[in-house]
Amino acid sequence: MNLEGDLLHTVQPDNISDRRKRLGRILFWSASALVVLVGALLVLDDFGHDLGFTSWRPLLYAYVIWAVVLCAVQVIERGESGKRALFVLPATLFVISMVVFPLLFGLSIAFSDWNLSSLDGQKFNGFDNVVAMWNDAFYWNALKNMVYYVAAIGVEYAIAFGLALLLNADIRARKFFRVAILLPLMLSPVAVSWMFGKSMMEIRFGPLANLAKFLGWNQPAFFSDPMIARLSIMVMDAWTWIPLMVVILLAGLQAMDKEVQEAAKVDGANAWQSFWAITFPLMIPVSVTAIVIRIIFKLKLADIIINVTSGGPGGATDSVTSFIFREYRDRSNVGYGTMLAMVYLVLIIVFITALLALVNRLTKRPA
Amino acid sequence: MKVDVYNMLTAAQASRRRFLQGTAAVGAMAAGSSFVPGLSSVARAQSGLRAEILKIPGVNQGSPTDADWQKVGELCLGGTKETVQEGEFEGVELTFMGLNNQNLHNFLFRGFLKPWEAYTGAKINWIDLAQADYNARLQQSIATGTVDFDIIEMGAPFEGDVCGKGLAAEMPDWVKTLIDMDDYVSYLKAPVGTWDGKTYRISVDGDCHNFNFRTDYFQSDELAKAWEAEGHEGIWEAPTTWQKVQEVTKFLKGKTDPFGLEAYGYLDPLKGWGGFGFYFLESRATAYAKYPGDPAWLFDPDTMKPLVNNPAWVRAIQDVMDVMADQPPDQINADPGTTAFQQFLAGTGSMLSWWGDVGSSAKTSDGSVIGDVVGFSILPGSDDVYNRKTGEWETLASGPNFAPNMAYIGWGVYVMARATQDEKKGKAAWSAAAHLGGKDISLWCSAYPSGFQPYRNSHFNIEEWSAAGYDEAYIADYLGSEADSYNHPNAAIEPRIPGIFQYYSIAEDELAKTYAGQYASAQEGADAIAAAWEKITDQIGRESQIKLYRASLGLG
Repeated sequence: MNLEGDLLHTVQPDNISDRRKRLGRILFWSASALVVLVGALLVLDDFGHDLGFTSWRPLLYAYVIWAVVLCAVQVIERGESGKRALFVLPATLFVISMVVFPLLFGLSIAFSDWNLSSLDGQKFNGFDNVVAMWNDAFYWNALKNMVYYVAAIGVEYAIAFGLALLLNADIRARKFFRVAILLPLMLSPVAVSWMFGKSMMEIRFGPLANLAKFLGWNQPAFFSDPMIARLSIMVMDAWTWIPLMVVILLAGLQAMDKEVQEAAKVDGANAWQSFWAITFPLMIPVSVTAIVIRIIFKLKLADIIINVTSGGPGGATDSVTSFIFREYRDRSNVGYGTMLAMVYLVLIIVFITALLALVNRLTKRPA
Repeated sequence: MKVDVYNMLTAAQASRRRFLQGTAAVGAMAAGSSFVPGLSSVARAQSGLRAEILKIPGVNQGSPTDADWQKVGELCLGGTKETVQEGEFEGVELTFMGLNNQNLHNFLFRGFLKPWEAYTGAKINWIDLAQADYNARLQQSIATGTVDFDIIEMGAPFEGDVCGKGLAAEMPDWVKTLIDMDDYVSYLKAPVGTWDGKTYRISVDGDCHNFNFRTDYFQSDELAKAWEAEGHEGIWEAPTTWQKVQEVTKFLKGKTDPFGLEAYGYLDPLKGWGGFGFYFLESRATAYAKYPGDPAWLFDPDTMKPLVNNPAWVRAIQDVMDVMADQPPDQINADPGTTAFQQFLAGTGSMLSWWGDVGSSAKTSDGSVIGDVVGFSILPGSDDVYNRKTGEWETLASGPNFAPNMAYIGWGVYVMARATQDEKKGKAAWSAAAHLGGKDISLWCSAYPSGFQPYRNSHFNIEEWSAAGYDEAYIADYLGSEADSYNHPNAAIEPRIPGIFQYYSIAEDELAKTYAGQYASAQEGADAIAAAWEKITDQIGRESQIKLYRASLGLG
C-alpha cells in the first residue's frame, strides 16, 4: 500500500500537461492584468481624464471575473488537488470581498476630510482626524463613560450568576421562570428605552418615579444628575442583557458534572463552600465567555442612550457609539466619524486580547 | 392639513361650548390680525372648482381615500390641460422621491398624479422614505453623485445642499404663472425657494414656531392677586415679551396651577433632538438678534463668522439658564417632544414655543388635558433688540421687537437638473410638480389631512372653509394662530445653507454642556458653539458657504 503522497480521495494521479499549465498561467495573468488595467483607467478617470466611466462598478466586474478565473485555474493547473481547493477558495474570496475590502475602504475614508455637505467631496488629510480626535473632549468623555459602563458588567455578572444558580436549583415553576427571564432579551433596546426611560421613569406619572416618591425621594429625577443618569442607563441596559448572561451561565451549570458537587457534599462542604470551592472555579471558563460576550455587547451600547438622554446631561451618559452616531449621522462628518470608529475598533481588539490573555494566565493550572 | 389638525377641527365642531368660545376668538382675530388680507370679512368670489373639491369627501365624512385623492387630482387638471397636450409625455418615465410619514405625502401625490399620468402618458416611479432616513439618503445621493430621482419633496433647509450644488433645475416661467406664486404668504416668497436669483421651489407647505399658552393660568384670579401682591408691573396676562416670560416663569415657581398641580412657566427643551432642538433656542433668540431690516441673525453674511456668541444670543442662553431652576424637575432631560407632548399637553407648564401641532393636539390627543384652555400668539418680542452692526442694544420707537421664527420653512417640490437634460422629460417633471403645487389642489391639502399646513394667502379665506362645512369660528382660530407669524415683516428666516443641521447638532451638544454647568458662563458656552461652527464652515468651505448664505438671504 502506498503510504506517501496524497492520501485523500484522489481517484487517479493527475498528469497535468505543460500546455495545460501554461494555459492556466495565461488565464490567471490575463485576468489579473484586466483588474489592474480597469483599476488604472478608473483612477485616471477619477483624476480628471474623462474616460467615460460613471462609477467604479467595472472594477467590481473585473474582480468577479478574476475570482472566477482564479478558481478555474486551480483545476486547470492542479487537477484533482485544485478541485479540493475549490471547497475553500470561493468562501475565502467572499470573506476577503466582504471584510478586507470594506476595511481598506473604511481606512481610506478614516484618513480623509469628508463632510457630505462639502462641495469638495473627500480629501485625504493624513493624520488630521487623529489629531482632532486627540483634542476632542466629547470623544474622551465618551471613552471615560465606557469605562464606567464596562465596569458595571461586574455587578451584572454577579446578579446573572445568582439568577442562574436559582434557575438551576430545584425551585417551583422553574420552567416558567426560565422562560420568563428571557423576555427582556427579546425586547428591542429601543422599546426598553421608551418603556422604562420615557414612561416608567417619567418624573410625574412614571410608576418607578412614584415608587421612589413613596420611598421618600422628593423629586425622583432619574436623568438630571450625571451619576444617577449614568446609573439609570446601566440599569436599563443590564435589565435587557442580564438574561443573556443567565442563559450562558445556566448552560454551564447544567453541563457541570454533578458528581463533583455530590462528592463535596459527602466530604461535608456547606452550600457556600460548595459554591466557592467547587462550582465557581469550574464555571470560570463559561463565566469568561459570558463576560467577554457581554463586554462586546456593552461596547456597542448606543440605542438606549440615543433614545433616552441623547448623551446628556452634559455628556454624562454619552457612549462612544452614540457620539459617533451624532458625528456621522447628524453632522455628516464621514471622515472623522470613520476615524473615531476605527480607533474604537483598535481599542476594542487590544482590550479584548489583553483581557483574554489575563484570564488565560489567571486560570492556567499550575504545572 | 396635518392629520391632528384635521381631527381637531372636525372633532371640535361637535362641541357647542367651543363654538361659543371660538366666536369670541374670531372677533378678537378680526381686530388683531393685520397681515392677512384673506382674513378680512370681505367675501371673495369662490370658484366652483374650489367649492367642489372641498366637498371631497366632505368634512366629517371620514378620512379621504386614494379614490378621493384621484378625484381631486382629476378635477385640478385644468392647469395641466392648458400647458400640455394629451399624451404629450408618452414614453417618459420620472422618479419621484418623497416621504411616507403617516401614510401621507407620497401617498397623496400618487393619487393626485394618477389622472395626470393618464392624461399626459408619462409614468412615475416612487421612492418612499421614512422621515428618519430622508436626510441620510439625500446627503448620500448628493455626496456620491448618485441622484436617482427626477422630482423630490424636500424641506427648504436642504436647498443649500441641493440648489447650491446645481443639482436642481431652475423653474421655467410658465410654471411660475401656472402655480400663482404671488399667492404665497410673504415669507415663502423669494429669497426662499431661490438661489442666486433663480427660482427652484414649488411650495406645498409652511412651517413656523408659535407661542402656545394656558389661558386658565392667565385668567386665574388667584394668580392675578398674587402677581399684584408681589408688586409686579402690569396686569396678569399672557406675556408678549421674553422679559415678561422670564418674570412670569420665576413668579410661578412654588405656586399652584388651576388644576391644583405645581405651577410652571415657560418650558425650555434642554435636551438635544437630532438638531431640531436648536430651533427652540432660536425662538428665544430671534427677538433679541433679528434686527429689523437686517436679514442676517445667525451668521455674518460677509465672513460666515457665527453670531451665536454675540450679546443677543448669549442673552437668550442666559435667559434659559436663569429659569432652569424654575422649570419642572428633570427638565435637563426634556427634549422638544417631551415639553410638548408629555408636559404642556399633559398639564405641566403654562407657556411653550412649538410648531402648529401643539395647539391642535391639545384638542384631539388622548393625553391632552388642556383642550379648552389653550391660546396662541406669535412668539414673544423683546423690549430691546441687538444691532449687530453697531454692537448696541436699541429700543425701537415702534415698541418691542418681534421676530417669529420660521423654523424649517416647510416642504416644497423640486425638479432635479438631471430631469431637464431631456427637454420632454424636463417639461414632464415640471408639469407634474406644478400639478402638485397648484393653487386649487393646495387648498384641498390645507383643508384635509395631507401633512401640509396652509401657505398661501388664498388659504386664509375663511368663507371657503365654512362653505365646505367647517365651523367658521374654529377655522378662524386655527388659521389666525399661524397667519401673523407667516406674514410678519421681521420674520426670522432660516439660513438655507449646506449642512445647516450639522451646525444645529453640534450646538445642541455644546448647549447640553452649558446647561449642565460644564462651562463657566453662557458666554463661554456660546463661544464653544461658535468655535465648533467655525470648524464646520472651514470643513465645508468658507468661501462657498459665504456665497450660498448670501444667496439664501437674497443679498447676491
